[in-house]
Amino acid sequence: MTLRWPAFDLRALALALVLPVAAACGGGGSEYTPYEDPHPLPEEPLVIEAESIGGYGGRFVIGQAAGPRTFNDVMANETSSTDITTQLFVGLTTFDNATQQTAPMLAKRWEVADDGLTWTFELRRGARFSDGTPITSADVLFNFEVAYDDELHPAIQDLLVMDGRRWEISAPDDYTVVIRTPAPNAMVPELAGALRILPKHVLEPAYRNGTFASAYGVNTPPDQLVTSGPWRLRQYVANERVVLVRNPYWFGIDREQQRLPYLDELVFTVVPDQDAADLQFRAGQLDALDNVKPENYSWYEENQANGGFTLYDLGPALNSAMMWFNLNKVRQPAAGRRVGDPQVDPVKYAWFSNPVFRRAVSMAIDRDAMIQSIFFGDAVKNWSTSTPGNKVWYTPDIVKYDYNPDEARRLLADLGWRDRDGDGILEDDRGNTVSFTIKTNSDNRLRVAMANFIRDDLERVGIRVVLTPVDFNTLITNLRNDFQYEAALLGLQTGVPPDPALGQNVWRSSGLTHWWNINQPKPETPEEARIDRLVDVLVAETDLEKRKEAWREIQNIVNEQCWLIWLPTQIARLPVSDRFGNVQPSVIPHRILWNIDRVYLKSRARR
Amino acid sequence: MWTYIARRFLQIIPLLLGISALTFLLLQLAPGDFLNQMAENPAISAETIEAMRRRFGLDRPWYVQYAIYLRNVVLHFDFGQSFSRHQPVFTVLAEGLGNTLLLATAAALVTWLLAIPLGVLAAVRQHSWVDRVLSVVAFVWLSIPEILSGLLLLMLAARTGWFPVGGMRSIDHDELSMWGRTLDLAWHLFLPALVVGLVPLASRMRQMRGSLLDVLRLDFVTTARAKGLDERIVVFKHALRNALNPMITLFGYTLGALVSGSFIVEIIFSWPGLGRITLDAILTQDQYLVMGSVLMASVVLILGNLIADILLAVADPRINYD
Repeated sequence: MTLRWPAFDLRALALALVLPVAAACGGGGSEYTPYEDPHPLPEEPLVIEAESIGGYGGRFVIGQAAGPRTFNDVMANETSSTDITTQLFVGLTTFDNATQQTAPMLAKRWEVADDGLTWTFELRRGARFSDGTPITSADVLFNFEVAYDDELHPAIQDLLVMDGRRWEISAPDDYTVVIRTPAPNAMVPELAGALRILPKHVLEPAYRNGTFASAYGVNTPPDQLVTSGPWRLRQYVANERVVLVRNPYWFGIDREQQRLPYLDELVFTVVPDQDAADLQFRAGQLDALDNVKPENYSWYEENQANGGFTLYDLGPALNSAMMWFNLNKVRQPAAGRRVGDPQVDPVKYAWFSNPVFRRAVSMAIDRDAMIQSIFFGDAVKNWSTSTPGNKVWYTPDIVKYDYNPDEARRLLADLGWRDRDGDGILEDDRGNTVSFTIKTNSDNRLRVAMANFIRDDLERVGIRVVLTPVDFNTLITNLRNDFQYEAALLGLQTGVPPDPALGQNVWRSSGLTHWWNINQPKPETPEEARIDRLVDVLVAETDLEKRKEAWREIQNIVNEQCWLIWLPTQIARLPVSDRFGNVQPSVIPHRILWNIDRVYLKSRARR
Repeated sequence: MWTYIARRFLQIIPLLLGISALTFLLLQLAPGDFLNQMAENPAISAETIEAMRRRFGLDRPWYVQYAIYLRNVVLHFDFGQSFSRHQPVFTVLAEGLGNTLLLATAAALVTWLLAIPLGVLAAVRQHSWVDRVLSVVAFVWLSIPEILSGLLLLMLAARTGWFPVGGMRSIDHDELSMWGRTLDLAWHLFLPALVVGLVPLASRMRQMRGSLLDVLRLDFVTTARAKGLDERIVVFKHALRNALNPMITLFGYTLGALVSGSFIVEIIFSWPGLGRITLDAILTQDQYLVMGSVLMASVVLILGNLIADILLAVADPRINYD
C-alpha cells in the first residue's frame, strides 16, 4: 500500500510517526526467504496436485473474529480454535473441498473387507511429526483412546460410536491400522479422518496423569507444540495473533518433489469487529476475508479490478435456515400437566400439528422477494440441509411447497377458517383468532429480517404473527428445556464432510436437534418412524446410490409434512488478494485455508 | 489516616463477597449455560453435552457450585478455570489486563493534558468565542457514540494509510529495534487513545473551568489583584492551585474506571484487552471467567476510589479522616 501524504497540518505528526515504522514494515525481508529443504523427503510422500507449481516464500494474513482458546485439537469445540488446529494436525484421511470427496492424508490407502465391518488403513512410511519423530500406528491408537475416554468425553466421540457401541481399533504393525465397526458404516474413512493425530510421545504423560484437557493450551511454548500437519506454531500473542510456520518434516510435496507448504508464514490476526476487518482488508493489512456482509458485495465487485483482489463467487453456502412449529410434548409430569400433553396451548397445537396448516404457511412465504430485499439477490431457495452448494448430496427435484398465496388461502379456507370479524385476520373453526409468535436470536440480523418478512407475508393470507427476537442462550433454553415458544427460526450448520448422516440428530425422532419434537422415546408418527429407519440406511449402507435414495426419501417426507419450513440460503462470496497463486475458495469450511498448503506468493505488490 | 485506610480495606471483604454472590446468582438466573453454543451443531449428541456438564460441575445446584468456588478462592486463591480455554481464569485475564491499562492510561493522558489547559483557557476568557467554541466542540464529541467515532477514525486510517487499521502491534513488531517497537506501539495506540480520551474531555474541561471560576471570585484573588500582582501570577500561582483540589478527586475516580472504560473501543480497534475477553465470556456464559473479570473490575474500582479519597486528604489539609 502506498502512502499518500496528507495535505493538512497532520502531516508533521504522520511523518514523525509513520515514516520509521513504515520503513521497518516494508523492510521485513521475510517475504522472499530462499528455502533450502533441510531434510530428505519421506519414503512415501503425499503428492498434492495443484493448478500451478509455486516457489517458496511469503506470508498469508487472515483475520479471525476471536483468537484460539486451545491448540488441543481433540478438546477444541469452537471454530476460532479449529481453524488453526486443522492446519497444525492432520488425520488418516482428509476432505478435498474442490471435489467434495474423501482423499488420502496420513493413510495412503484403505480398504474394507467383504464383511463390511473391517477397514484396513495403510499409513504413509516416512511421515514425521514436526520434531522429526516418525508417525506410526501407535499414535493413531493413542488418539482413539483419548477420543473414547469417558472422563474427557470430547465431542468427536459422537462421530466414532454407533448406538453407543465403539469401534475396535488395532494395529498389527507400525504402519497398519485396522478398524472394526460393530455394524456396517459407510462413513468410516471420513469419520476416521476427523480425528486428527496428536503426538503420543509428547502427550501420553499428560493423558495418564489426567491433565490432557489443558495440555496443548494456547500458552504452550512453540517448540513443545509438536504437530503432524503442514504447519507448526511460531508465535502466539494472546488476543492479537497466531503465527504459523512451515513444518519442515511434513509429508506433502508438489509434483516436482518440492516439499509443501510454499508459504513461509500463515498468520491469523484477531479482528473482533466485522466492519474493522473489512477496513483492514481494504487497507491491505489482511489478504483475505472469510465472511463478508451481503450489502458489501457490490463494493468489492466494483473495486476488484483496480484493488488487486478478486471477489470469488463460491455459490450457495452449506448452512441452511428454517422455521418450525413447536410440536413438543410434556415428557415429565409437572404441576397441572400430564405426560403427553402438548407443550403449547392446545388450540394452537391443533393448528400446528395439522400438515395442511404448515403447508399453507410455507406457501405464503415469498422467498424470491425475500432474496431480493434481504440478501440483495445473493441467495438461492433451499429445501434441505443439503443445500445446492453440496455437490454430492444436493437433491434437486424433491417435494417443496413454494410461494403460492392463492393456494395458501384456499387451504386455510378448506380448514373452515374465516375472517369472521372483518379485521383481516382469520378465525379458526371454533372462533379463535389465528395468531402465533416466532422466536429467533436477536444477534443474527439476517434471521430477524427473515422473520419480519414472514410476518408481513403471513398477514397477507390472514395469519397474525408476533415477532420475538431473544438472546441466543434464551432461545436455546426455550427450544430444549422449557419449550416456551410457538414457532422458531434458526439455522443449522453443516460440518465437514457435508454428509447428511452427520446430521442424524436432526432427523432421528430421538435426536436433540429434531427441533419440532425433540427426544421422542419412540417415534410418535408413522412418518417419523419411517425416517428413523431411513437414517439407519443412510448411516450403515455402503453403496452411495442406496444412501442417496434413502436421503431423498427423508427429505421428501419432511418437506411433504412441512415440519421444517425452509428459507433461502445465502450465496457466499469473498475477496482474496491477487498476490497469491492456487487460491481456490470453497463453500466448505475452511473456505480459504483448506488448500493453503499449496498456495504461493506470486508477486509482492497488492496494487 | 492509617486506621482509616485499614478500615476501608476491611470493608472490601464483605463488599466483594456481596458482589460475587450477586454475580453468581445473576449468572444462574440467565437462561442456558456454556453448553448452549453447541445447539446449532447437529453432530453433538445429548450424552456428550451431559458429560461436559458433569465435567464442568454445572450439573450441581448453584449454591453448591458457589460454595465450592468460594472455598477454592479463600483456601487456594484459585479463581477457577475458563470452560472454553481450559486455563485458570487468572491467566486468561492477565493476558488482557496490561493492554487495557496501557490504553486507559494513554486515554487518561489525552483527557487530562487537554482538559486542564483548555479548562483554564475557557475560564480566563469566560464568555469569549474561545470559551464557546471549546464547549461546543467538546460537547459534540461527547455526544458522538464511541462506536461511531471509532469507526470514522478507522475509515480515515484505511483511506489514508496514516495509521494502522486497528491492532496493537505490526506483524513484524518483534523484528524491530527497541525504538522501532516503541514507535510501532505508539502508532497503533494513537487513534484508540484519542477516541477513549476525548469522551470525558468535555466534562473534565467544564469542571476545570467552573472550579477555576469559583476560585477567581474569592476574596483572596481580589486581594492579590488589589496588591497589583500580574494577572498571570494571580491565575497560575494562586487561583489554579486551589482550583485543582476537586480535580484531584475526579482523577482518582478516573482510576476506578480504567479497566472498564474502553471495552467498546477495544473491540472496534481490535485492541487485545479485557473487553473482548469479558464480552466473549458473558455471551458464552463462561461462568468463572465472568466471575473473575467482574471481581477484578470491582477491585480496581474500589482501590481507585480509595486512592481518590487519600489523594484528596493529602491535597487538602481541611480534610481529616480520623
